[in-house]
Amino acid sequence: MNRSEELLKRLPNDIGGQPGAPIQRTEHQYLPWEKRCHALADILDMRKIVSTEEKRRGVESLGAEMIGKLTYYERWVAAFANILFQKGILTPGELAVKMEEVAARHSRGTAA
Amino acid sequence: MIAGLVKDEGDDPRFHAGDKVGISVRFPVGHYRVPHYIRGKKALVEEVVATPAIDNEAEGFGRNVGLKRHYYRVSIPLSELWPGYAGSPHDGLRIEVYENWLEGI
Amino acid sequence: MHPHDHTPVVAADEAPGYYEIMETAVRELLVAKQVIAAGEIRRHLEVLDSRTPQLGAKLVAKAWVDPEFKKRLLANGRTACEEVGISFYENTELTVLENTEKVHNLIVCTLCSCYPREVLGLPPDWYKLTPYRSRAVKEPRAVLAEFGTVIPDNVEIRVSDSTAMIRYLVLPRRPDGTEKMTEEQLAALVTRDAMIGVVPVEFQKGRVQ
Repeated sequence: MNRSEELLKRLPNDIGGQPGAPIQRTEHQYLPWEKRCHALADILDMRKIVSTEEKRRGVESLGAEMIGKLTYYERWVAAFANILFQKGILTPGELAVKMEEVAARHSRGTAA
Repeated sequence: MIAGLVKDEGDDPRFHAGDKVGISVRFPVGHYRVPHYIRGKKALVEEVVATPAIDNEAEGFGRNVGLKRHYYRVSIPLSELWPGYAGSPHDGLRIEVYENWLEGI
Repeated sequence: MHPHDHTPVVAADEAPGYYEIMETAVRELLVAKQVIAAGEIRRHLEVLDSRTPQLGAKLVAKAWVDPEFKKRLLANGRTACEEVGISFYENTELTVLENTEKVHNLIVCTLCSCYPREVLGLPPDWYKLTPYRSRAVKEPRAVLAEFGTVIPDNVEIRVSDSTAMIRYLVLPRRPDGTEKMTEEQLAALVTRDAMIGVVPVEFQKGRVQ
């Protein structure tokens, strides 16, 4: 069986029944930005801008490596960026410029 | 029953509680919600989900209009999903499957 | 029990990481373009914070004391929730699964993390991570044992894997010795994990609850 087909045939999240490790009952306090990300997802879905299903597909499209290395909400925000670009709601350039501006705010603000 | 009413495609569910169905085998590229582990298995329809819905494989790509079909909550014994299943023979899965993934058997 | 968690819209004093910067930038651009309204996120955070397992526990306790409510809850979880003022998101339904002496239910989402958020709040990490998702549908008894729950072989286990618009909530069995308790006292016994189905509701007489 050609290995590369399997990458397309089975999504990285389709793991039901695969061998798994013991369950660690990890919980973490949701970080404020994670909750904001969740709120954003709900609003985009309710306003029918990006549906929950589109978000799921967007996360799947990140591919196995990113899915493995990004945390749960990191995957969401990366997926949202891509989807919003595809829909012409944001452009990569304007998001990049805005991200520089947001990052610079904090470094300005932390003059000791 | 009101005479003269013509039903639209998808108004009536194709399957009903108690029907035996087969889960199709195919490999959609890009987005699906029927996991590999149930494909090709036989299942029993436990319940028809009353509200018809858009095909979520297409919805994942932004299609939020179009013909709606039904989901079905089906059951499959775990012993049929997993060779050598070590538990009660009555242990079972319940899962929702969209109408276009089910075949009458 | 869960304290009411007030989530600030703007992060406190730590340097935001790359993804937080991205989230902030996306949000601000969407507001600037009037795709979403200013304050909409803040408002929705309050809604999210108000959804905790206490809501699910109230439903369970009410079902335990009120047989007619229980029938309605099992027949249509969403409308029974709406009856007590718990709204549901569009296009989601709720099916409540009753545990009995013959049947034990547990819920999972193998493909992602579908969860009855409207009545339980946000899910725990373990529910969203690979081990639970991959193993709950294949070896539920071993998974339950890892939570300290042993289900006898003569009890049927039903694992519900959410894939579409139905969300599940387990209605756990009412423990013995609680016959004289009020609805509020009963609700205080019901944990989030019992409503996922990985542990029973416990009550020990004489213990201060």
